[in-house]
Amino acid sequence: MRVVIGEDLFLLRDGLVRLLDAHGFEVVAAVGSAPELLRALTELKPDVGIVDVRLPPTFTDDGLRVAIQARRACPGLPLLVLSQYVEQLYARELLADQAGGVGYLLKDRVFSDAAFADAVRDVAAGGTVLDPEVVSRLMTKRARSGPLAALTPRERDVLSLMAQGRSNAAIAAKLFITEKAVSKHAAGIFANLGLAPSDDDNRRVLAVLAYLNS
Amino acid sequence: MTRYLVNWPALLLPLVALGTVGLLGVPVPQILVILAVLLALAAPAEGAKIVHFALFAYGAYGLFKLHSLQIYESQGVHYGLVTASRAVIAIPGGYQLTSQTSGFEPMLAEAVGFIFLAVCVLGVTGAPGGRAVRRAVAQLRGGDGQPKTVPPLLLFPVIFLWEELFSEHLWFAGTAAPGVLAAAIFAVGAALIVRLPQVAAVIAVVGTIILGLYGVSMGVHWLTTGGNPYGGAVGAPPFGAVLVNGGSSELLAGLQGLTLLGFGGFLVPRLLTWGTDAALAARAQALTQRVTRLTESRSDAIEVAVAELRRIERDLHDGAQARLVAVGMSLRAAEELMRANPEAARALVAEARETSSRALDDLRGLVRGIYPPVLADRGLADAVRALALDAPMTVDTDITLQGEPPMPVAAAVYFAIAEALTNAVRHAGADTVQIGIGYAGGMLRATIADDGAGGADASRGTGLAGVEHRLATFDGILAVSSPPGGPTIIAIEVPCALSGHEPARQAAAPPQTIA
Repeated sequence: MRVVIGEDLFLLRDGLVRLLDAHGFEVVAAVGSAPELLRALTELKPDVGIVDVRLPPTFTDDGLRVAIQARRACPGLPLLVLSQYVEQLYARELLADQAGGVGYLLKDRVFSDAAFADAVRDVAAGGTVLDPEVVSRLMTKRARSGPLAALTPRERDVLSLMAQGRSNAAIAAKLFITEKAVSKHAAGIFANLGLAPSDDDNRRVLAVLAYLNS
Repeated sequence: MTRYLVNWPALLLPLVALGTVGLLGVPVPQILVILAVLLALAAPAEGAKIVHFALFAYGAYGLFKLHSLQIYESQGVHYGLVTASRAVIAIPGGYQLTSQTSGFEPMLAEAVGFIFLAVCVLGVTGAPGGRAVRRAVAQLRGGDGQPKTVPPLLLFPVIFLWEELFSEHLWFAGTAAPGVLAAAIFAVGAALIVRLPQVAAVIAVVGTIILGLYGVSMGVHWLTTGGNPYGGAVGAPPFGAVLVNGGSSELLAGLQGLTLLGFGGFLVPRLLTWGTDAALAARAQALTQRVTRLTESRSDAIEVAVAELRRIERDLHDGAQARLVAVGMSLRAAEELMRANPEAARALVAEARETSSRALDDLRGLVRGIYPPVLADRGLADAVRALALDAPMTVDTDITLQGEPPMPVAAAVYFAIAEALTNAVRHAGADTVQIGIGYAGGMLRATIADDGAGGADASRGTGLAGVEHRLATFDGILAVSSPPGGPTIIAIEVPCALSGHEPARQAAAPPQTIA
């Protein structure tokens, strides 16, 4: 799998290259600025890109803007966005085009390299992976009233794990229940939220998130 | 003792009472003196409030008594420190008053002196009218940021002096009409002082100069006639504190006239710069107020900054620093165990990884409390939208900003809104919050309205009070309307200029930070 990395801090960029090499990815470009990144993404068309939000020249949200711009140029280009801090606002912007293949994680997640590599593969496959921080804030948001109030606590747990991009199997493992139970909960979630059911992982997550974000 | 020091004017009351002994037909006139002494000792504050009335009344009574003496009374009068008397000659068929008088001049001087003393006391104490006198003195001297100018209040003594010259026809004419005229002239003077102070000042100065010339002419007359030892007409008009009836009184009148002339001439240049003086005075006052406010808010700002630094130091010490120490210890232990017990070493290294992750969390939280990255990167509008998304209840935002406020103002407004949201969650239990931000007429305005239980108060709880102080540093204000039962509306207004550019992009790129 071909990967492009956009990260301006040398140590971290180097660490990412090493990590991805070790997990069987091919790093075709590792750049340290927003213009270079945009060029690399649009020209090299990798299977997945890993993008730091904060990049030169302005060190604000250049990486995020490049990500959105690149996906406009190449719709559905899988991108995993890393940041020192996560904001629901940025998650919304990334998910706005509803094309799938989006990840938004805290840089801390790099510490668990196996999980990180899984996340990269999920995103490359078109899945949506949101940092648990973002998801938890999303979930507390409508806890009082609104659609989430209609869900049972168990359904809420399943939903939050779904939003983090876990597959049914992973959710079952995490919650110590069977996969069949997970499917049942998923169906219940869709029913309670009034959404059309779907088996496609990505479409599921996107539908739920789009609904919650509205 | 301080009671008497502060209210020393009360001690003038016995003086007034002493003077009435011998004047009024009180059977035991000494009773007044004893009462005055008792009042001065027992209730000096109250005594100080009425003493200027007493002095005024006593002075006016002296003038009245002088006139009576001049015209028809035959017995002597003891007034204050003066004894005045007339001689009476019995003639067949009636009495005839002689032209011989004694003590009248000093009596006039004393009466006018008491009136002058009343004005001085008025200026010194806090009695009503005292403020006007003090302001007039400040206008004469210049001070307290007040440039020197002509006090319009001067018109009152000038009217008094003029009416004194015509007292025969105005105050002591025997019928009511002239007295009413005299009072009306005073009333017109008062209206001028309040409504047209410049006109009042001009009339006062001109009146002073003419009076001065009048007095000087009498002095010149005295010089040219080589002094006239023989008295002039009885019932001569009083001039200020001098009864002019020939002789040395003309000299005194001349000296008084010279003083008045000098004073009037001294004030004339100030009349010419009246307009600018008034403008300067207003400006000086406004500046003094502003300096006071700025001094207060500056010390507030310093306090806030110091408190914040202390909080950061404490959070770092207890949070990230502590965790990094733990990481170091875990890694050190892992180093030791690496060969002997690699499994235990692995566990320690995993623990170190976990702890460093938590240290990052701590630092993230700290940074958010100092200057949230989204505020630095995206500006106030998006930062508030991010706040709205993170809040547990529904928050609707309506933000219209054509530019970006300066960073410190944006931070102050951001934290104000954050605090308001926290209060809405924690205290009011609100379900919906509406945040509106706009900019008009050089003012950045923000409102936070929630449908919670209300009862918020800027004076209770330090959250909103701290926000208020922080906003005051930028001349911003915070208003809270929070009746019990709700809804709560918090309004913030800060004067500032919006820049046309996007945030952070206007600043130079900051140095690279460590991940």
